[in-house]
Amino acid sequence: MKEHLTECSDDALKRLLQEVPNQEADIVVIGHVEHCVHCQSRLYDLAATSRDWNAAKASLSSFDSLEYSREEKRYLAHAENPGETCDEKSWMEEFTRQWLQPPRHPELLGRIGRFDVERWIGSGGMGVVYKAFDTELNRPVAIKILAPYLAGIGAARQRFGREARAAAAIVHEHVVAIHNVESNSESPYLVMQYVAGESLQQRLDRTGALELCELLRIAKQTAAGLVAAHAQGLVHRDVKPSNILLEEGIERALLTDFGLARAADDASLTHTGYHPGTPEFMSPEQARGEAVDVRSDLFSLGSVMYAMCTGRSPFRAESSYGVLRKITDAEPIAIRELNPSIPEWLALLVQKLHAKQPADRWNTASEVHDLLEGCLAHVQNPTSVELPQTLQPSPRRGWWQRMRRDSSGTRKAMENSQWQTLYFMVGCMVVVGGVTELVMLAPTVDRAKPSRANSAIDDAAKEEVEGGNSENRVMNVTPERVAAEKSWLDWDWGDAELRAIESSSVELGNEAQKWDSEPRGN
Amino acid sequence: MRLKDAADASAWTEVLAIYGPLVFRMAQRQGLQGHDADDVVQEVFSAVSRSIHTWLDQDHRGKFRHWLLGITKRISINALLRRPLASVGAGGSGAENLLRSIPEKEREVLEQVELEYQREVYRWASLKVREQVNEVTWQAFYLTHVEGLESDLVAKQLGITKGNVYVARSRVMNRMREIVKRFEVQP
Repeated sequence: MKEHLTECSDDALKRLLQEVPNQEADIVVIGHVEHCVHCQSRLYDLAATSRDWNAAKASLSSFDSLEYSREEKRYLAHAENPGETCDEKSWMEEFTRQWLQPPRHPELLGRIGRFDVERWIGSGGMGVVYKAFDTELNRPVAIKILAPYLAGIGAARQRFGREARAAAAIVHEHVVAIHNVESNSESPYLVMQYVAGESLQQRLDRTGALELCELLRIAKQTAAGLVAAHAQGLVHRDVKPSNILLEEGIERALLTDFGLARAADDASLTHTGYHPGTPEFMSPEQARGEAVDVRSDLFSLGSVMYAMCTGRSPFRAESSYGVLRKITDAEPIAIRELNPSIPEWLALLVQKLHAKQPADRWNTASEVHDLLEGCLAHVQNPTSVELPQTLQPSPRRGWWQRMRRDSSGTRKAMENSQWQTLYFMVGCMVVVGGVTELVMLAPTVDRAKPSRANSAIDDAAKEEVEGGNSENRVMNVTPERVAAEKSWLDWDWGDAELRAIESSSVELGNEAQKWDSEPRGN
Repeated sequence: MRLKDAADASAWTEVLAIYGPLVFRMAQRQGLQGHDADDVVQEVFSAVSRSIHTWLDQDHRGKFRHWLLGITKRISINALLRRPLASVGAGGSGAENLLRSIPEKEREVLEQVELEYQREVYRWASLKVREQVNEVTWQAFYLTHVEGLESDLVAKQLGITKGNVYVARSRVMNRMREIVKRFEVQP
């Protein structure tokens, strides 16, 4: 204590703790601390309680390395992006080396059974897929080998076998055919039809949103594949763009990877919480881990169609947890907000597939298939083929009429008000159209008022009144009409909904920090 | 909108970073290894994301990590039961033994979880602090406080004055405590 350069001061010490010491004065204080035992111990106490100091020492000294190990990083990434591993490539090489017999030709990867394995195609939740050549039948095939860590698990082997048998039973032009199953070998594998081309996912990555005709065709063909699967009692459970293959040249869509499909009555392997692949295309009931039926696939088909319409998946978040939350709680951004060239009826069709309650969707894939077929016919030949009746914008026979009765919660409230406005609007116009005196009530003919040109429903409402009555153009701008117009502009409420959900996410974010904040016991 | 999204995501990353290794070790303690324990981490987090709403709605929900422990146990046991019997161990099912030993070990396990939790929180905090301060400052803390080396020696080794070693050490500890405080580590 002989070299007191400054006086002992807690304030000076606190400042040292909080700010980067760079001033002349700080250097003086540091020089003081070096020699002042009192200030050394004050500095120690001001930084943290001795209990904290001890906890830090005990905790940190127990680690060999504080950095997360490669393995820890891997499963952290795994938990965040299930189905993906950080260094997939090296794992792949290891896998190939371990499970394939040496190749007969240096340009090949190896052999398995009577198949020459040519190259790696991809890896999914349960295994790895290679392109191979059947040396006896002289044809290219795709071979899917069960991942070795799963091959050791009896239940997984059984599931793999069951998947193969179930999928093999589906013979359909829009489902990838299973040729053969080898479930007794050390590494079980199945042999499938090889489809030259790319997956819908790759297509979307490459070109973004698809053209209307093409997207309807792909959706229709996918629905056809689902009809075939559902007819066998199989729910696909993993309908997503990467599981839809587009054949090169003719662009036929084929549904594949029934990796998670299982006979609908087989409940034995399900409640382990196994998280199948990316959750972005899951249905709300899947996201909640509830029982699923064919209507779950319809929701996923809706998500695939959304992706084809907009070039992006409907429920996106930084983490898979965030995705699951959005699937169960949020409405996606309105399709026409992202791509105004999509007709209203298609947006409404996807919206119905996206109903949170399975009962509010269609009941079967074949209904959806037939509808899409009708839509496609209409789009290809709009003058001679009408849009399917259920999609036609007549409030008297449209499905939205039923939706108004069926849907629940806030959606119902919002839709109710919208539908009421629509009925009111149409009703008004019909009445007004018939009774000419009422024309006087229309204050101005404001033709400059922009109307929603693309709204099929508005157009139809106009047409309905246009029964030879030229006055109806005037009717279109009654005060009621203006009010209706305004409420139609509110149709794209996805955004507001999203904001509501987002603010609740933040609450959860804060909650995450409060998770352990019960009162301390000391 | 972006900002809120990011806040949500970063909270989740934090949860994963701290609870991921915790769940991994909890699973290991239930007798699982490598890939199996890995799978448990994955399953636990998907179970959490499914049922977190319900849990948050409860009035007396207790601690998150205790809830997590319950989920981990249930899933670990499922994983053990899923494995072929041969690898579970001689003399009957390991899972059964495990089930039987749970009640008596409950307290011990809870204490262990608290300790593991504290370790993981400090580890996470240390990594965060290291991002904020320069390496010399961090080393001054780590070498003197964690490794227990003499400040004279450390000062010489790092080429700074002893006064700077004291200040650096306390600065690191102070920041670490600020981070740890948010997680309510129980001593």
